[in-house]
Amino acid sequence: MSNFIVRKAAVLGAGVMGAQIAAHLANAEVPVVLFDLPAKEGDPNGIVRKAIDGLRKLEPSPLATKDRVAYIDAANYEQHLEQLRGCDLIIEAIAEKMEWKDDLYRKIAPFIAPDAIIASNTSGLSINRLSEALPEALRARFCGIHFFNPPRYMHLVELIATRTTAPAMLDNLESWLVSRLGKGIVRAKDTPNFVANRVGVFSILAVMHHTQQYGLGFDAVDGLTGPLIGRPKSATYRTADVVGLDTMAHVIKTMQDTLPNDPWHGYYAAPAWLSALIGKGALGQKTRCGIFRKDGKAIKVLDLGLQDYRESNSDVAPEVLAILKNRNPAEKFAQLRASSHPQAQFLWAIFRDIFHYAAFHLADIADNARDLDFAMRWGFGWAQGPFETWQAAGWQAIAEAVKADIDAGRAMCSAPLPAWVFSRPGVHAPEGSYSASADTLKPRSTLPVYQRQLFPERVLGEQAVQGNTLWENAGIRLWTLPQLDDTVGIVSFTTKMHALGRDVIEGLQEAVARAERDLKALVIWHEAPFAVGANLKEVAEGLAAGKFDLLDQYVGEFQKASMTLKYAKVPVVAAVQGMALGGGCEFLMHCAKRVVALESYIGLVEAGVGLIPAGGGCKEFAIRAARNAAMTGGGDVFEFIQPVFTTIAMAGVSKSGAEARELGFVQETDRIVFNAHELLYVAVREARAMAEAGYYPKLSPRGIKVAGRTGIANCEMMLANMKEGGMISAHDYRVAKAAATALCGGDVETGSLVDEQWLLTVERTLFVELLKTEKTQQRIQHMLETGKPLRN
Amino acid sequence: MSKQIQDAYIVAATRLPVAKRKGMFGHVRPDDMLAHAIRSVMAQAPGLDPALVEDVIVGCAMPEAEQGMNVARIGVLLAGLPNTVPGMTINRFCSSGVQAVADAAARIRLGEADVMIAAGTETMSLMNQMMGNKIAINPAIFESDENYAIAFGMGLTAEKVAERWKVTREEQDAFAVASHQKACAAIAAGHFKAEITPYTVTTRTPDLKTGAVKVKEFLADTDEGPRPDSSLEKLGKLKPVFAARGSVTAGNASQMSDGAGAVLLVSEKILKQFNLRPLARFAGFSVAGVPPEIMGIGPIEAIPKVLKQAGIGQQDVDWIELNEAFAAQALAVMRTLELDPAKVNPLGGAIALGHPLGATGAIRTATLVHGMQRTKARYGLVTMCIGTGMGAAGLFESIL
Repeated sequence: MSNFIVRKAAVLGAGVMGAQIAAHLANAEVPVVLFDLPAKEGDPNGIVRKAIDGLRKLEPSPLATKDRVAYIDAANYEQHLEQLRGCDLIIEAIAEKMEWKDDLYRKIAPFIAPDAIIASNTSGLSINRLSEALPEALRARFCGIHFFNPPRYMHLVELIATRTTAPAMLDNLESWLVSRLGKGIVRAKDTPNFVANRVGVFSILAVMHHTQQYGLGFDAVDGLTGPLIGRPKSATYRTADVVGLDTMAHVIKTMQDTLPNDPWHGYYAAPAWLSALIGKGALGQKTRCGIFRKDGKAIKVLDLGLQDYRESNSDVAPEVLAILKNRNPAEKFAQLRASSHPQAQFLWAIFRDIFHYAAFHLADIADNARDLDFAMRWGFGWAQGPFETWQAAGWQAIAEAVKADIDAGRAMCSAPLPAWVFSRPGVHAPEGSYSASADTLKPRSTLPVYQRQLFPERVLGEQAVQGNTLWENAGIRLWTLPQLDDTVGIVSFTTKMHALGRDVIEGLQEAVARAERDLKALVIWHEAPFAVGANLKEVAEGLAAGKFDLLDQYVGEFQKASMTLKYAKVPVVAAVQGMALGGGCEFLMHCAKRVVALESYIGLVEAGVGLIPAGGGCKEFAIRAARNAAMTGGGDVFEFIQPVFTTIAMAGVSKSGAEARELGFVQETDRIVFNAHELLYVAVREARAMAEAGYYPKLSPRGIKVAGRTGIANCEMMLANMKEGGMISAHDYRVAKAAATALCGGDVETGSLVDEQWLLTVERTLFVELLKTEKTQQRIQHMLETGKPLRN
Repeated sequence: MSKQIQDAYIVAATRLPVAKRKGMFGHVRPDDMLAHAIRSVMAQAPGLDPALVEDVIVGCAMPEAEQGMNVARIGVLLAGLPNTVPGMTINRFCSSGVQAVADAAARIRLGEADVMIAAGTETMSLMNQMMGNKIAINPAIFESDENYAIAFGMGLTAEKVAERWKVTREEQDAFAVASHQKACAAIAAGHFKAEITPYTVTTRTPDLKTGAVKVKEFLADTDEGPRPDSSLEKLGKLKPVFAARGSVTAGNASQMSDGAGAVLLVSEKILKQFNLRPLARFAGFSVAGVPPEIMGIGPIEAIPKVLKQAGIGQQDVDWIELNEAFAAQALAVMRTLELDPAKVNPLGGAIALGHPLGATGAIRTATLVHGMQRTKARYGLVTMCIGTGMGAAGLFESIL
């Protein structure tokens, strides 16, 4: 096997998708040339430049760090096709017009390098048909590559082979997309809208259909079709508003045009109300008015009966809610079906019709049931795909119920369920998932890239590896994974949301002690979040009892755990994904190395509860500032304190692992991993390599130069202006001043030399002083009760 | 009351156009701008032996880094004046330029000198930290309420003035639009031509495509700040910067700028000896302290003080160059002193023309003396508020 390397990529088409795909390539350190038509006047690259500028403003940001845009070069088809010759991967993402794509392919063909891959991001057109516009010699290297919007955040990429696509090329591309771009791949067949959109858009149509059938409001349906049934918060109609009602209508139209023989074809039409909204220019979020409309602070919803907007109310009927809270899926579905409440009937109906649709089309659109389920999870944000939901609720019972409804004419379509449905106990089994086209269970892909995923996403019925437990307490588990490396210990937090309480603090120290005795290295890893911070409940209990001396000790233990990680005789590697806040951030900062998933949100957010980082977080930044200052001509420590102070005072959290590097939580030498499923693999390998390279901890620094009193005064100047300007409260000021004091090494002369213990004592003392204030106590209480910070 | 033995006359006053921060002078050094201003002002008094210059006093609000090293002396040497001519940098923040004129005049009036150059230079592009290159505040400021306001940013003090003098957002924005309109009209009419000495900017930038150093030259001859398209609607969209519910925005505050100006002052003896035509007589200067948190009202104290010193009334003043640090403070000053709006900044002010801190006083002195010549006015003021709570005012009598 030879290495597959993308040295440079091109994206054709600087629309919403093209520009964002380019951004994600740049995130992955792949330089990109972004092409579009030459502008009619002014800068010939004007269209592309505007798109690149737009990337900076989009939220959530398609860019891992703002400087990524520098690696996207603007180009146009008239002047710069020569640049294609240097690109190993060319992704076409222009408008969905066959003639335009044909023209473009003919135009670029002479400039494509012999080994380059060319792939279309079309969301619906036939990939086989598209390949015909390319010269024969290039067709083996052409395929469909369907990203979902927003491409940085949506895990799914559908890969679609043509009849002539070279299998090895597709394997290489899949492996690269998985590992380098962090994507989840589903191999789709070349059928209209492929897998996720085919099922997902039908699901929306089914919801729309039944909304009217059961006389429900759009707001009520959103209440029903959101997190309560494992779908995103924006549910159905909010999602439509966000996507854009015109876009939605366009996708429906594609189904209408391209699937004339589909038994559900009659439903592939935009409802009259949707066309009416579009006619009025109410296209959803982008026009500030669609199915929903924001009226000042109130959210109003279109009421078809009133033909006007009214207050939105997404409350679910208590009896239906009770059914949905039932943890037994079989009972839940039986109850939904049996209930006479229109909300319950509606829910059963949308599930029934999606089950029916998915089963009917499985053979045509997807290789197997796992692919279809993952497509819905990764492309539409569903917690479970339709087959998993069905199987969990009892395969045969649901099959019979669906059949009964079809027979009784209650289902949307009278086409019978395929025969295989009735001959099986389900579609997911330990050996694999059912392929309707091959009538067999298909195991997971054997591509080597997947061996890096020790804990991949699993469908129902698949077992996770367990590993060998070496030791555990109520907060952590220390274990190894012998099939990977039995000399590297893995510490996993087992607390709720991975909050850091006594058990974790003590457990970490015990784990390090055991690793020093029996193992070569240690990795801290568990599924996201890495840690949401200290266990506030334990803190609140101490406060209620007025036991400040115990709280002081508690902080001392916390600091001890940090220092244990930092000075462990074996390397400790933190494998970070999701939120890593407060104490979680401090722990990872103290590790010998960090392996960080791209989607990591790291920050010292203690200010939100009226506290300062006191698990060594301020100390670490003070040490770094001194080190950095020593390398400058002026030696001014404060220069390096100022940005950190701002971050901590504002409780700033990184919007990516790469941004965490800019904020100083993650180091230049740490690794950013795009696919979070590879995190453990990379961390274990890194830890072992460090051990083999003869790792030893550095000695605790002495003679740390601090910013001292002048540094604190400099911070106070900023605070004074913010407070007088009404931007922060008196308590914000107090908390931030404490952070400044800890970062500057205490109320001592500027340039004083201190040691690590001094810095720890300063932050601990200030922390406990803040705990004693009423306003901080109110903030902690409020956070415990509402999960949101209190501004007081 | 003054015990002067002779008058000081301005025989030349000139300036470079004022550039927007990071604009046309983005890479131009303040000592180079200063040297150009000194050279140009000397050139406007042909026949006057430069060796007679007793001293060169230069105002600069952040005299460090590029404008450190006693920038005055560097400017003198770079300008090609004989090395026997000394130079001194002075700092009173935003009034430094007019302070330099006053100090230069004082040496002449006392009979200690017969030829002086006063100047100002400031780059806010290269010195973009309003606090200087290294921030180092005295902790004592925060130990008592009395001195707390030393820490306040200028914008915040403008908010305090707006609040206390009840200057609304709309009034501030309208004042800002008027400033732009007046400045644009003045440029169109060529009113700044007499005072501006164009400056040739040379930039050397890397051309990454060719690998060569791209050398570009262009002549800067017009102020860069004024916006012909400024409007109430546009300014109304800007968000307050300094206070959550404030009224001071980037649009109704002075622009950060780069610039330099110089004024040549001589005694009557020199006027006669070299047959020089005076533009104006230096008629007085005052400076006064006010509470730091409302530093913007400084001119309210300084203006009456200098008028009293000169023994004239406010009605005798025809032209007032009132530095528009912020529309809020400018309006508060104008209302409190009942200044005639028609006399204040007839060619626009710092909101449009820019405010290169320590250079402004010298620059606006050039504007004033040339403007009064053109309009046959008699008395004029250059006045401004000063950070940490002061006001300064220089009075000039036009010699027609």
